[in-house]
Amino acid sequence: MAKYAMVLNYKNCINCKACEVACKEENGILLGASSHRIWVGVNEVAGEFPLLSIASSAFYPSQCQQCGNAPCQQVCPTKATYYDKNGIVQVDESKCILCSYCMIACPYDARYVDDRTMTVDKCNFCGDTRLLRGLKTTACQATCPTKVRTFGDMDDPTSEISEILRTKEYFTLKTSLGTEPKLFYLK
Amino acid sequence: MINNILPHKEITLKKIFSFEKTPFNIVMMIVTMILLAGFGAGFINYLMHGHHAYGVTREHPWGLLIAMYIFFVVSSTGLCIISSLGHVFHIKSFEFIGKRAIFGAIITIVSGFAVIGLEIGHPIRMAIYNTISPGFTSAIWGMGALYSVYLLLIVVEFIFLSRDEHKWSRLFGMGGLLVGIAAHSNLGAVFGFLVGRPMANGVFYPVYFILSAMITGCYLLFLMYGYRYKMEFTIEMEKFLMHLGRLLGLLIAILVFFEFWRFLTAIYGNLPERADTALYVLRSKSFWLGEVLLGMMIPFVVILYSKAKAIKAIIYASAAGMVGIFFMRYNLVHDTLIYPMQTMKTKEYQLVPTFIGYTPTITEWAIALGGIGICLAMYYIGENFFFLDPNKEDEYFKNYKAEE
Amino acid sequence: MEVEISRRRFLKGSVALSVVLGGAGVSLVAKNEEKSPIVGAYGITKTSQEGIEIPTLCEICVNKCALMARVENGVVTKLDPNPLFPKSKNMLCPRGCAGIQALYDPDRLKYPLIRNGEKGSGKFRRASWNEANEYIKEKMVKILDEEKDNRSAFLFCAGEGMAEHTFKTFFQEFGSSNWLNHASLCLQTVVSGYGVTLGGYPSADLQNAQYVIMSGANRAEAIVTPDTMNLFKKTQGRGAKLICVDPRFSHTAAKADVWLPINPGTDLAFVLALTYVVLDEKMYNHKYVEEHFNDFNAYNEHILKNQYTPEWAEVITGISAKQIREIAREFMLYAPKAIYYPGRRSTFSKSDFQLRRAMAIFQALGGGIDTKGGLVFGKTLKLTEHEASSPIYSQAQARAIRKRDDAKKGERGYEDCAIVSGGGSWIGWRNRFLEGKMPYNVRGAFIYKHNPVLNMPNSAKTIEMLKKMELVVAIDTMPSDTVMYADVVLPECTYLERTDPVNTFGGIEPSLAQRNKVIEPLYDTKPIMEILRGLTQKISKPLFEITQKYDDEVRGAIEDSSVEEIYAEFDLTKPFMVSQEELNTHAVAHYPGADKILKEKGVFYPDMEKMYRQINANEYQYYPENNKFYSVNGGKPKTASGKVECKLEKMADLGVDSMPTWKNEFLFVVPEGKFRLLTGRHAQFTQSGTANNAMLRDLMDENYLWINTRIAKQKGIKFGDKIEVSSKVGKTVLRAYPTEKIGHNVLFFVHGFGSQSQGLTLAYQSGGNDNAVIEDIIEPIYGASVMHETNVEIKKV
Ligand SMILES: Nc1nc2c(c(=O)[nH]1)N[C@H]1C(S)=C(S)[C@@H](COP(=O)(O)OP(=O)(O)OC[C@H]3O[C@@H](n4cnc5c(=O)[nH]c(N)nc54)[C@H](O)[C@@H]3O)O[C@H]1N2
Ligand SMILES: Nc1nc2c(c(=O)[nH]1)N[C@H]1C(S)=C(S)[C@@H](COP(=O)(O)OP(=O)(O)OC[C@H]3O[C@@H](n4cnc5c(=O)[nH]c(N)nc54)[C@H](O)[C@@H]3O)O[C@H]1N2
Ligand code: SF4
Ligand code: SF4
Ligand code: SF4
Ligand code: SF4
Ligand code: SF4
Ligand SMILES: [Mo]
Repeated sequence: MAKYAMVLNYKNCINCKACEVACKEENGILLGASSHRIWVGVNEVAGEFPLLSIASSAFYPSQCQQCGNAPCQQVCPTKATYYDKNGIVQVDESKCILCSYCMIACPYDARYVDDRTMTVDKCNFCGDTRLLRGLKTTACQATCPTKVRTFGDMDDPTSEISEILRTKEYFTLKTSLGTEPKLFYLK
Repeated sequence: MINNILPHKEITLKKIFSFEKTPFNIVMMIVTMILLAGFGAGFINYLMHGHHAYGVTREHPWGLLIAMYIFFVVSSTGLCIISSLGHVFHIKSFEFIGKRAIFGAIITIVSGFAVIGLEIGHPIRMAIYNTISPGFTSAIWGMGALYSVYLLLIVVEFIFLSRDEHKWSRLFGMGGLLVGIAAHSNLGAVFGFLVGRPMANGVFYPVYFILSAMITGCYLLFLMYGYRYKMEFTIEMEKFLMHLGRLLGLLIAILVFFEFWRFLTAIYGNLPERADTALYVLRSKSFWLGEVLLGMMIPFVVILYSKAKAIKAIIYASAAGMVGIFFMRYNLVHDTLIYPMQTMKTKEYQLVPTFIGYTPTITEWAIALGGIGICLAMYYIGENFFFLDPNKEDEYFKNYKAEE
Repeated sequence: MEVEISRRRFLKGSVALSVVLGGAGVSLVAKNEEKSPIVGAYGITKTSQEGIEIPTLCEICVNKCALMARVENGVVTKLDPNPLFPKSKNMLCPRGCAGIQALYDPDRLKYPLIRNGEKGSGKFRRASWNEANEYIKEKMVKILDEEKDNRSAFLFCAGEGMAEHTFKTFFQEFGSSNWLNHASLCLQTVVSGYGVTLGGYPSADLQNAQYVIMSGANRAEAIVTPDTMNLFKKTQGRGAKLICVDPRFSHTAAKADVWLPINPGTDLAFVLALTYVVLDEKMYNHKYVEEHFNDFNAYNEHILKNQYTPEWAEVITGISAKQIREIAREFMLYAPKAIYYPGRRSTFSKSDFQLRRAMAIFQALGGGIDTKGGLVFGKTLKLTEHEASSPIYSQAQARAIRKRDDAKKGERGYEDCAIVSGGGSWIGWRNRFLEGKMPYNVRGAFIYKHNPVLNMPNSAKTIEMLKKMELVVAIDTMPSDTVMYADVVLPECTYLERTDPVNTFGGIEPSLAQRNKVIEPLYDTKPIMEILRGLTQKISKPLFEITQKYDDEVRGAIEDSSVEEIYAEFDLTKPFMVSQEELNTHAVAHYPGADKILKEKGVFYPDMEKMYRQINANEYQYYPENNKFYSVNGGKPKTASGKVECKLEKMADLGVDSMPTWKNEFLFVVPEGKFRLLTGRHAQFTQSGTANNAMLRDLMDENYLWINTRIAKQKGIKFGDKIEVSSKVGKTVLRAYPTEKIGHNVLFFVHGFGSQSQGLTLAYQSGGNDNAVIEDIIEPIYGASVMHETNVEIKKV
């Protein structure tokens, strides 16, 4: 029993997309533009050459927010989307009927259809690969050159992530929707 | 045997095809056959390629089939509500439409189920897990469950109506109406609960759905009666249709009012996701020509100018109205999804995501329009083999004989 | 380096490979049960619970990051960073992660090939190794016989790689003097510039620097370890101020505090002006200058007298005088924890060598040399190298360069450049060959892990050269554009299928690391060691016969002793008869336990067990602060004099300015309506080598032409339009990416795309090839290729 979450020191991100490749290789994600569990959002830099606004061009690495109050889970008619014992929002592909409702409900574009199983897939914190093998890091975290991500158990007050969340300022995405994301971006 | 439960005429293939060969009937037959063939082809394509046969994407996961499904279930609920005005609430002039309307409600929802069955990626799995692993918090589950019960209730209601057991029919009618409205507002909630989709999120859709269902019911009744009586109406009938027309006019007026405030509140405050979407919709042809002109203005103007007396014109306007309703359903789905949930570039060489496009594939069109084919075919069978008109005592069989 | 021909001895010393017979090492290699390697679609499998992990090193680019390869049922399913390696610091970049695709690429070279169509037609027939070697032997014997045993009739060229050395041994044994590598296309001027000025090409202690000027280097996209990892954790107001100088808004610029879009090729003026400010305001580190500079006064006077003022530089560079002043002052304020980053791929313009000298001197003015937070030399752990013999052939001619007979003192001595260095001048050599200006016939080429067709300016000429060669042998893993013009193709197995020479990685935290074989080679492929073993076994004796025929000395010696005895000295097979594993065992034998640790963990350094520990979920300590090698030379540069060399009199004799000097000829003019073309790296690709990688292509499938939005609009060019880019030497077509991230008369696109090899199913004709349009301009001092002095035209197609 744990409450897994992830902190992103997003200012470190150089938009190299190692995380995306590592995720695909680890979790066997198919190729194709819409098949991805993880991405880096880029705001096109504002201004006219040569007067560009550096501040406007941040890189936002992202993935499923592992919402504490997940719209995708609430709307699933068959409980194919569920919380596992570690608080990870998982999809049980044997129950998913591909109604796609969760894809519409997710405010973060975190879900997509896996073309092999024709069910909905998303980031599961490497729950059925690395975590199952007893590893303490996700594939995207481990590979990152600038160490953007820290993954861990929020319920464990001694964990690194708890420590970071106690001591650093952070924000979450679309907080006002009440989805209670467990992806925390350090300010 | 079945006749003991539900009175009907003998249905044979020969009889089905031995209709009066008027040009209109022939055209209708050909159209129906083409639509049914389309449905079959779409179905085969779905079996072969699954969802790959559809134009839905990660960003726009719902498309034409959901729109068509909504189109049908709204029609069904609408017919159910309007019919209940008579036999549930005893509004006199509405009483004799009961059976035809309920029959319409049945066939539309069945057509809707046929379409949605092909939209769901795994329909059989759905039947299993919706039952053994129900997601009670899911509006779509609630809607599915309620519509199933609703279908059951209105079928029983139709049986009792056909058997002239009005005590029972009223009971089931009441049940059907309540469950239908519940199901229907649940359908609204399917959209209304989408916290991430500001255009849909909120109370608007659940309420709007009931309203627009009633409008749809009116349009459909006009069309059914137009077809049934070949545009020749008795005075009695005309009187009823005038009532219906006035009701329709009022409902449209309320809808216009609704829509006006919906857009005004969406734009006011300038929240990008809501306001930009609203403005985008307001700039689209399919809103103005489809929803507003066909779906509301033409029928409304006709009703207003003729004081609901120009029945024939209203019937033609109702055809326009139904096309408009189709646009409303399509736009409902599309407008909910056009604002991207990913507003940033995620690929280096890509344009910044803007409003999301969607083009239905031929397979989707075939299945969606095929649903109309199913509906038409069933209506034809109903019209000719069941007893959709009120049974004024013994006239039942008299009519039957006279028509033979 | 020219081969010195000694008539007395046949043996030349010092080749690092040697015959060592050590105990057989532990085999950590996973059994490769399945011979059919294509897993899923393009080798993408979800990892399972069953599997083993084998430590090895990445070879997708120059960095050689340490990784753990996960093997499940003989299939490599995942590459993870190996946290033990101080250089790669527990990371694997996107290309490293996608390395599995190099292994399972269906387009891979799978068996030896012999050409059976026109050159370039891509028509080959499958051959056995024996057949391929036989074919090579026959042609070689013919050529060498006709060239009277002039071994230099064969060119050897190689790209960078861990086994490059093995190939170079072959070159040395073979006795040719024509060696070319990627240096003159890559880092020749920067290495030389820093070399002659500071005595070495230093690394940058970005972990401790507080002020960094990164100019002409793009560490956010051109990944260099550990720089990339160190720098960006500290930028954006978190410990290091970053000034990015780049004509385009790169990802590094996006992470910088200040971005200076410099006019391309004018960096020398920028650095001279920075230097001017520092000297004029006497802000330099006086103590350091006093102790560690040669000819400071001359330089001081040179800079001040020439009036390299910020105002002067503003006109040339486009960077405001105010900013130049500010930056110069800030730099000195933070010095010695301030770094003017040396960069890597260097030869952007003809002034590059002097630019690098000016940069090195500017850095030294702040005292940030061989010190924490500055430029450092670091320490290198020694490997045991064994002297092996390589024969000397009396008939072998010196390197095919042309001296200028009329050169006087103070003028450059060679036709195309002033100085000839080890890496040689690739384009100089190629062009001489094509123009028939070789001092003798060169008729064959061995190409190892190198794709000059796509990586050298003016692809058309490179193709022409390969067509003219009578025997081209390409050793590669993929059917590259160069392979298409080979006569014989020898398929090497990929890096995951072989053990390579153990390597030493110097720096602040030095270590050894080893590439261990992860799975047995797929198909009929072999590591270079075994390829050369087979080849030399085939050619050694027949070639010795030719030597006997033309070399009186050898014949005389045979008469004195015996054929066997003399042949033993000419036996080409010697260095290749041992296994790489044995060589590695030997190379690290003087570090107790190292061999075993390298096999089991991939990385070794003394006292590793004591010093290495995890700091947090992501970071590790390799050396405690006190044990790091920030300073190895007491703060002195590593030049022979122990001083920073401001003025190089000897260079003046060769026609090179003794001090960095701006010349008006450096000004590059872009005519109205034309554009200056720039190229560079992308974080998800390595030059031309990864263009067919399905996983990486999934992230970006072709390169796009950066063009200023407003110019594009004027020309009616929209995003995605196909544009033909053309220059004097050729043209290429790619899609447009209108952006404000680049200036008005400059264009940019990522290097490495636009392959014309039909063997590469995915990369074939996707995107544009920059080298099809870049002109072959030779940098005057070392003969490097000047990459950014080509004007191009564009047109919509
Ligand atoms: N226009 C332009 N030209 C440039 C550059 C630029 O920025 N712009 N960059 C320059 C620079 S910095 C460099 S370093 C050079 C690089 O030039 P190259 O050294 O030619 O590098 P790659 O393009 O990576 O090509 C390497 C070749 O080795 C093959 N290969 C990969 N792995 C193996 C292996 O394990 N064994 C064998 N035998 N072959 C293998 C690949 O298939 C590929 O054909 O290019 C230079 N050229
Ligand atoms: N991802 C990735 N990483 C790599 C490699 C790779 O292929 N891919 N290759 C490796 C190799 S071999 C090398 S040599 C290094 C190369 O590393 P770098 O030299 O850092 O990389 P480049 O992208 O070639 O060029 C650097 C930048 O110089 C800019 N530039 C162009 N002209 C000028 C100019 O006149 N003045 C200034 N100030 N800037 C200019 C370009 O816009 C570009 O952004 O990267 C290494 N790392
Ligand atoms: S791996 Fe790290 S730096 Fe690279 S894109 Fe992902 S989060 Fe950003
Ligand atoms: S698509 Fe699958 S996971 Fe998503 S809501 Fe429907 S059944 Fe649940
Ligand atoms: S981000 Fe989306 S997919 Fe992930 S838990 Fe939240 S709603 Fe579900
Ligand atoms: S946590 Fe695992 S599944 Fe989720 S994005 Fe990262 S690598 Fe992919
Ligand atoms: S490709 Fe990436 S992982 Fe591999 S050596 Fe280069 S930087 Fe390291
Ligand atoms: Mo390079």
